[in-house]
Amino acid sequence: MNERSPLVSLAAAEHQPRWSFRLVAAGVLAVLALGFLAVRLAEVQVAEGPSLAALARENSVHRVVLEAERGILYDRHGMPLVANAPAWNLEVVPAALPFGAAAREAEIDELARLAGIDAGALSAEIAAADPYGSLVAGPSLTEDQELTIAERIPDLPGVSIARHAVRTYLYPTLLSHVLGYVGPIDGAQWPSLKRRGYQPDELIGKVGVEAGVESRLRGVDGWADVVVDARGQVVRTLDSQASVAGDSVYLSIDLDLDRWTLAALQRGLARDHKKAGASVVVDPRTGEVLAMVSYPGYDPNLFTHGISEADYSKLVTDPNLPLLNRAIAGQYAPGSTFKMVTAAAGLQEGKITPQTLLNCPSYLTFGGWTYHNWASWGLGYMNVEKALAVSCDTFFYQVAASVGDVTLAKYARAFGFGTAKSIEMPGVEAGLVPDRIWKSVACGVPDGSSDSCRWTIGDTVTLGIGQSALLTTPLNQAVYVAALANGGSVLQPTLVHEVVDARGRVALVHQAVVTGHVPVSASNLAAIREGMREEINRPYNMNYWFRAAGVSADGGGKTGTAQWGGSGLDLPTHAWFVFFAPFARPDVAMSVFVERGELSEVEAAPIAVDVMHYFNAHRSGVQAPLVLS
Amino acid sequence: MSGRPWWRRVDLALAGAAAALAIVGVLTIYSAGADWQRQLLWLALGGAAFVAASWFDYRRLAPLAAGVYVAMIVLLVAVHLVGRSALGAQRWLSVGGFPLEPSELSKVMLVVVLAALLSRQRPLSWRMFALILVLAAPPAVLILTQPDLGTALVFGAVLLAMLFLGGARWGQLASIGLAGLVAIPLLPFVLHGYQRRRLEIFLNPGSDPLGAGYNLMQARIAVGSGGLFGQGWLHGLQGQLGFVPERATDFIFAIYAEQFGLLGGLVLLGLFGFLLVRILNAAAGSADRFGELLCAGVFVVVFAQVVENVGMNIGALPIAGVPLPLISYGGSATVTVLAALGLVQSVARRRRAVIHHNPQLAPSLNRTEIGAVRLAP
Repeated sequence: MNERSPLVSLAAAEHQPRWSFRLVAAGVLAVLALGFLAVRLAEVQVAEGPSLAALARENSVHRVVLEAERGILYDRHGMPLVANAPAWNLEVVPAALPFGAAAREAEIDELARLAGIDAGALSAEIAAADPYGSLVAGPSLTEDQELTIAERIPDLPGVSIARHAVRTYLYPTLLSHVLGYVGPIDGAQWPSLKRRGYQPDELIGKVGVEAGVESRLRGVDGWADVVVDARGQVVRTLDSQASVAGDSVYLSIDLDLDRWTLAALQRGLARDHKKAGASVVVDPRTGEVLAMVSYPGYDPNLFTHGISEADYSKLVTDPNLPLLNRAIAGQYAPGSTFKMVTAAAGLQEGKITPQTLLNCPSYLTFGGWTYHNWASWGLGYMNVEKALAVSCDTFFYQVAASVGDVTLAKYARAFGFGTAKSIEMPGVEAGLVPDRIWKSVACGVPDGSSDSCRWTIGDTVTLGIGQSALLTTPLNQAVYVAALANGGSVLQPTLVHEVVDARGRVALVHQAVVTGHVPVSASNLAAIREGMREEINRPYNMNYWFRAAGVSADGGGKTGTAQWGGSGLDLPTHAWFVFFAPFARPDVAMSVFVERGELSEVEAAPIAVDVMHYFNAHRSGVQAPLVLS
Repeated sequence: MSGRPWWRRVDLALAGAAAALAIVGVLTIYSAGADWQRQLLWLALGGAAFVAASWFDYRRLAPLAAGVYVAMIVLLVAVHLVGRSALGAQRWLSVGGFPLEPSELSKVMLVVVLAALLSRQRPLSWRMFALILVLAAPPAVLILTQPDLGTALVFGAVLLAMLFLGGARWGQLASIGLAGLVAIPLLPFVLHGYQRRRLEIFLNPGSDPLGAGYNLMQARIAVGSGGLFGQGWLHGLQGQLGFVPERATDFIFAIYAEQFGLLGGLVLLGLFGFLLVRILNAAAGSADRFGELLCAGVFVVVFAQVVENVGMNIGALPIAGVPLPLISYGGSATVTVLAALGLVQSVARRRRAVIHHNPQLAPSLNRTEIGAVRLAP
């Protein structure tokens, strides 16, 4: 071939590219540009590498909190009072939704359709949410919705279904005030709860026992470090620790007695056209609360299952205050139910003896003011027992006047008046034992010469019949009457009978806690108790209710019709009845309160008799110790 | 016949670099969870196009330039009329069930047209200069309105660079620069909403981490977490878990960098640099102006796409959708680039010889004739 073509032979010589200036310039530019990219690449990968790698881990490695199951509340006999019902919620991670506007919108529309919520609202919610956080969208899903959406999850990037437990109250209106409910954490509570390991979206006991024994019920959350993909689906779990369920808390409440007590209260209120009331039944030997009712109540499930605006405003604007637990937070003058304190002070201070006879006129005058008895006629001379039995006001005016306000207040406090009881629920009110200092502060006007700021003899004598500014609560009344029943021990009331932890070990058994002994001798206390026994055994009066109900009047009681809203003759009243039984070895003490009750003997007392009717029939049940498997 | 075996007459280095890039591409596409077998099919098709183009005598293309131009316009108009839409843009034609992206083809078609026009004159007359601009405008507008900002940018780069390499006068180049300066303030009115947002995001990253900035942020996170040595093939968190969007196409470099680190990134950039130098070398060695400009055009197509793609992946340039040549998944882009490299090969195989002038052997040989010397086959 070479021989045949000299041209080809020439051309086969080494070729030599000719680099024009512009080609060289292009080559230099290319090398510079790639060099620039290399430098930038090194910056991103080496200089910013660690921080960007941390962002990558944040993207994909998530710590998931494994919510501990909240402890179950039982009554003293082991009847469950709450349940943790399974519920499903739609969770959306906005950043993981499709990027394209159309695809994103289509997914949101589809999601809204599947979950039965408004697409526009969902879209707005997603737009406002933290893009990398988990947004809980819409209300809980129904089981059908959950199944449908779960099947579609692979086509719905950024969407997941969270299963959680919804606290469900099995006896809604009956136990609303005792159990309370759980709810989201308030902003004000958050800083302290955060330190205790709470999650911002965790539910916490808000009121009632749910709040009072929160630390027992909560359990210990577990966790899992999971790797999730861009759609929010868990790819694998790196490490985890299981949660520990909360303790089972056996309340001191006897479910059946509580139910009966509420029914009795409702029957009594309905009979006398009253709207509200409360009752607390305690065991005077242990301080355990066997029944606590406050009427009207509410359905706590409304709060845990999502309350509507209308339902909520109905609850908060109801004039009968269904959200108020009157048993612990309703503060009212005790009226004549306080007379046992005045009697105790008079006897113990030596101002009277059980045999001392004092007149019981229709009125007496102190410091220029006239103070009336409930009867407009004189009842004659009587001893303290009789005075308690007929509830003579003028008798106790005289005792109070001779004892003096300072000593009387001291006895009141000794019986537990004016003390917020330490019981397992928030919002317990103390009531009030008024004294000179209180009055001078409360009047607001620093004018020592005015009767509204200066303690007067009138304050002292009305304090003697449970009026003046004296306030108590149905719970304090129950503790007070329990002390009269058990021989003078003021007990710490409790709602917790026993606590069993997640592994079935008994963590706590209630032991009676005596917070104080009343400074009253046994014989003086016996005289007071006789007076209380006499009251409920007066023929044609209180005794009628016992006979009518077939309940033995073996016990002691005291009625009280307390005026409120100022001073004068025609003031509205509340009706009280405090009671213990049986007389010799009491195992039940209770207070009954009828708001705006006018005649305690016919309005409050029959409710207590009604409760005793049930109690006597089931007394053995209450005493039976709780046996755990 | 020829004294040199075929493998001595092709630029093996160029072919080798392309093959290495294609292998890296398939591995990365596999790691992205995309259809790597289909990419192998595209590579086979592209390989065939490469061989065919290198055997084909590129000089026969010059007379066909008018036809190529018309075909380009027809394809781009067809996209507007019967194209399929995806992700808010109408870019695909369905040809026998396969999606065809004419804007990918048009990049190389423009190169052929410009090479043919520019090789006719030297220096470039103002008339020809104006004609080129007028001819370049319709396809550019058709592409920009799909909308396909990435390809339009590549178009602009090809036009500018080929004018420069094709011997445009400095005055002509300056006039284009001046027009560009005037046009910049008009940009916000021309760009689509999302394109404007991308530009804003580039200028102010983090202003919208969820929306338009999401892609950019996730890509940078992936690149950054690659570190020096990478997390290993198939072990990139960002890529494997799907946080990087478009991870087999526009953002494939990000997941490559996450898996292979700075070291792998430098290797890849080195491969591209080597490939580009080989293309320029072919241009410099071309037997004629048309071949030189053809190679120069292919150089610009590859160069512009590498710079824009890698640049946006590491956050150094605004986002505009262009594939990373031979790496990104995609039939039209892969076949087009391989065919273009085949043309470069065709030029290289017919390179100019420097004839050591021997008047005894060839007394009448002049320069023009030397340029026409055919080396092979």
